[in-house]
Amino acid sequence: MNIVVVLKHIPSVADELPVRGNQVDFDSVDFVLNEWDEQSLEQAALIKEALGGTVTAIGVDVIGELDNLLHLALAKGADRAVKIAADDAGADSHRQAKWLSEAIRPMAPDLVLVGVQASNDIDGQLGPLLAAYLDLPYIGVVSSIEVQDGTALMNKEFAGGFGARYSVRLPFVAGVQVAPKPPRYAPVSKIRQIAQTAKIEVLEPSGEADSGLVFRKVAPPVVSGHAEMIEGSPKEIAARLVALLKERGLA
Amino acid sequence: MLSSIEKVVFVIVALIALGVSFHGFWMIVFTVRQGRPAPELKNIPGSLLRAAWRVLLQQTIFRARPALSAVHLALFFGLITYAFVNLFDVLEGFVAGFDLTYGGRHMTAIFLPSGVVNAFNLISDLMSGALLVAIVVFLVRRFGVRDRRLQFREQVLLHPKVRAGAQHTDSLIVGVFVIMHVTAHLLTQAFRLTEGPDPFMPLASLLNAWLGPSEVGMHVAWWVSLGWVLFILAYIPPSKHTHFFLAPINLGLAKQTPRGQLDPAIPLKVIQGQTFEPGAKHIYDLAWTRLLDAYACVQCNRCQDVCPAHAYGRPLSPAALEVNKRYLLKDATFGGRLQVLQQPLTETAISPEAVWSCTTCYACVRVCPVGNEPMADIVDIRRRLIVDGAPLDSGVQSALQSLATNGNWMGKSKRLRGRWAKEMDFPIKNALEEPVEYLWFVGDTASFDERVIPNTKMTARVFYQAGLDFGILYQHESNAGNDVRRVGEEGLFEQLVERNLQVFGQAQFQRIVTTDPHSLNTLKNEYPQFGGAFEVKHYTAVLVKLFEEGRLKVKKPLDHYKVTFHDPCYLGRYNGGFAAPRRLLNLLGVEFHEMPRNCENSFCCGAGGGQIWMSKVAPGERPAENRIREALSTLEKFPNGKKQLFIVTCPKDMIMYSDAVKTTGSEGRIEVRDLIQLVAEAIGIEEAQVVAIAA
Repeated sequence: MNIVVVLKHIPSVADELPVRGNQVDFDSVDFVLNEWDEQSLEQAALIKEALGGTVTAIGVDVIGELDNLLHLALAKGADRAVKIAADDAGADSHRQAKWLSEAIRPMAPDLVLVGVQASNDIDGQLGPLLAAYLDLPYIGVVSSIEVQDGTALMNKEFAGGFGARYSVRLPFVAGVQVAPKPPRYAPVSKIRQIAQTAKIEVLEPSGEADSGLVFRKVAPPVVSGHAEMIEGSPKEIAARLVALLKERGLA
Repeated sequence: MLSSIEKVVFVIVALIALGVSFHGFWMIVFTVRQGRPAPELKNIPGSLLRAAWRVLLQQTIFRARPALSAVHLALFFGLITYAFVNLFDVLEGFVAGFDLTYGGRHMTAIFLPSGVVNAFNLISDLMSGALLVAIVVFLVRRFGVRDRRLQFREQVLLHPKVRAGAQHTDSLIVGVFVIMHVTAHLLTQAFRLTEGPDPFMPLASLLNAWLGPSEVGMHVAWWVSLGWVLFILAYIPPSKHTHFFLAPINLGLAKQTPRGQLDPAIPLKVIQGQTFEPGAKHIYDLAWTRLLDAYACVQCNRCQDVCPAHAYGRPLSPAALEVNKRYLLKDATFGGRLQVLQQPLTETAISPEAVWSCTTCYACVRVCPVGNEPMADIVDIRRRLIVDGAPLDSGVQSALQSLATNGNWMGKSKRLRGRWAKEMDFPIKNALEEPVEYLWFVGDTASFDERVIPNTKMTARVFYQAGLDFGILYQHESNAGNDVRRVGEEGLFEQLVERNLQVFGQAQFQRIVTTDPHSLNTLKNEYPQFGGAFEVKHYTAVLVKLFEEGRLKVKKPLDHYKVTFHDPCYLGRYNGGFAAPRRLLNLLGVEFHEMPRNCENSFCCGAGGGQIWMSKVAPGERPAENRIREALSTLEKFPNGKKQLFIVTCPKDMIMYSDAVKTTGSEGRIEVRDLIQLVAEAIGIEEAQVVAIAA
């Protein structure tokens, strides 16, 4: 099994996002690993543990600090680490997908795992775009991937609480929602040891792509309106609720 | 007295018994040496002598259970006396004309003044009585009233032999030995009294009056008495009664570094060619001194009594850990079952759930009369579990991940660390930009937790009002790593230490002050090992100084409060900071009542050692709830209508106890306040009362 896991370095939402001009002020925000990528990384490690093979962690180095994430990936079971040195903090999923596809194609992967979405773009497009560029099938919002004889079985989630079980022939690209187990903890001693010895392959971004979208204005959401707290006995609260619903023509 | 045949038989039996005993002890030495190198022990003869003195005074045992300790004292001095008694019994058997009865009147062999002989006879006679009483008390306690403190809970992991009651068998054998041996000795003396009662041998005389003198009886009793000694010598090495000999030695080889300094995860002194994984998976991964712990332990369970996790109903018993270690080593040494040593400690000595319930409060180590460190074993086991990638509690895992990326465990951005300071109406210096006298190490909870920030601000205001020259590191401070180290993440701890030391190096300050006892502990006791030796003070000590220098003055004494005070583990038991908070309470004029468990014997809030990060909450009365009930019963003994306060000096305590007041339904009866709130109120800072944690 030759598995490729895509890691996305994105601004941390623990921060209040500072805005400069019409973009996030990337210089004054911490970058973290996209949380869904932690799931796809764990999924990759589990498949490797079950079947053997290699896991390659790859990502676009948007701010020059991707090494930390790649070391983490190596500590969690990846065998090979590749970064695309782009230095483009605002690179969107379209651009990243193009660059990634150029880098991944020569690897001839059996399986490419991406996080189903990332909390910067929240468009869930990286996986589908990557699949299109690689000319591979894509399946998103999946969990619990099991590989057997060139075919992978997995669960896919649909809206409304529905799920389905899919069987997909390798190779393909999957957008991982959740791994069957919580992502493992990588002890810092191990990460530091890896940081001292690991070799990270560096690639230059190749290819051009663009979403065609232009930011007109970026601003924090404006707070408007307030919740009304209804107080009183359960009876009084119920009466007030009914009155409100009637008032607004909802009942 | 003995016939030649008897003498020959005795010498042969004695040589065999001593040979078996010596072999047993040699095996123990061999086993203990299999452990890892321990941190260097300095002046071993000196500390052994000190330990001998403490044992002689029975000092360490009186830390708990005073009545039973008095019984132990009787047993101890009884057995010491009997060492001489047995020596003289052998002399009486072997040396013709050696006779101690009647003040040595018939002594023809070795001359001893009759005063000395009479004194010895009286002491040994009375000690025989004391020994019999003491051993009967202990036997009744174990087998009659079945003291629950000597038992283990169902869910505690126990070696199968312990579960089957092997400890009790051991105790019974020694109990029977003491009774038979002492009685037989008394009978030997009784049968020896041919001229009526000896006033210096009251018990023997009593038996003599009943049984009369007897040559045959004397021989039989002598053989029973001394025969038991030979048996017991051979029996001791594989039994828990190695305690007799190894407890004083273990006490002499006990931890010499500060309580707040954990042993390194990998031995510092490595013999060439040896490599070690961090922490402990198997029993021989423990330092040799901690293998010796198991032989010193007499399995009294005092550590279990004081363990907050045990009180909470968790499956942790520090005593069971030592007992299990003992039986594992015994399996290997005397049972030839070496394969048990290849099983992980988490399967044979302590369950993973128990490992993860320890709060690292140090109560078990503090109370142990023989200097054992079960807590240190637990931390070593955690260290290896982390390195081996064992499953972690999800809360602990996300705390550690956040610590690695953000330098705090709350998942907050670094930049928000100094936000509270920017909200003050006076500037707080950045110690990286200008020199300060006090570098205030704020800590995570005090920096980020909305419930504690009001106290942080109040501390800043009091410092400011006193004209203290202080500054903080704003976003450049990282968690000090105390609890990270105790949860077993040694690599992350080292990383945090490096980050902080780098920042400290760029700041100009003379000393460090902190409100957080956990930060205080590691900064003071562990950072020096990484090249950062600083004077570190708790804010309570700084406040005392400010009052003494007249820079703070009590404007209105707080005599309308009735308070009790909780000693935080990492301020009190770990670092001896008992006096300053009490001195402050005294200065402020509150009515102060001490809880039964105070100072060294304080009871942990349950947050330490990473417990505050745990996502799962076990059922049962949590330690903090137990403590609030203790406070209430302390304060409510003095009904006078004053407002009842539970005073804390640790940010984590503020959270734990405010929560416990609610969960025990004690609102309105008691309120949790940080000492700084009282100080602020007393020195006339207006909003002091307002900042109590909002319900």
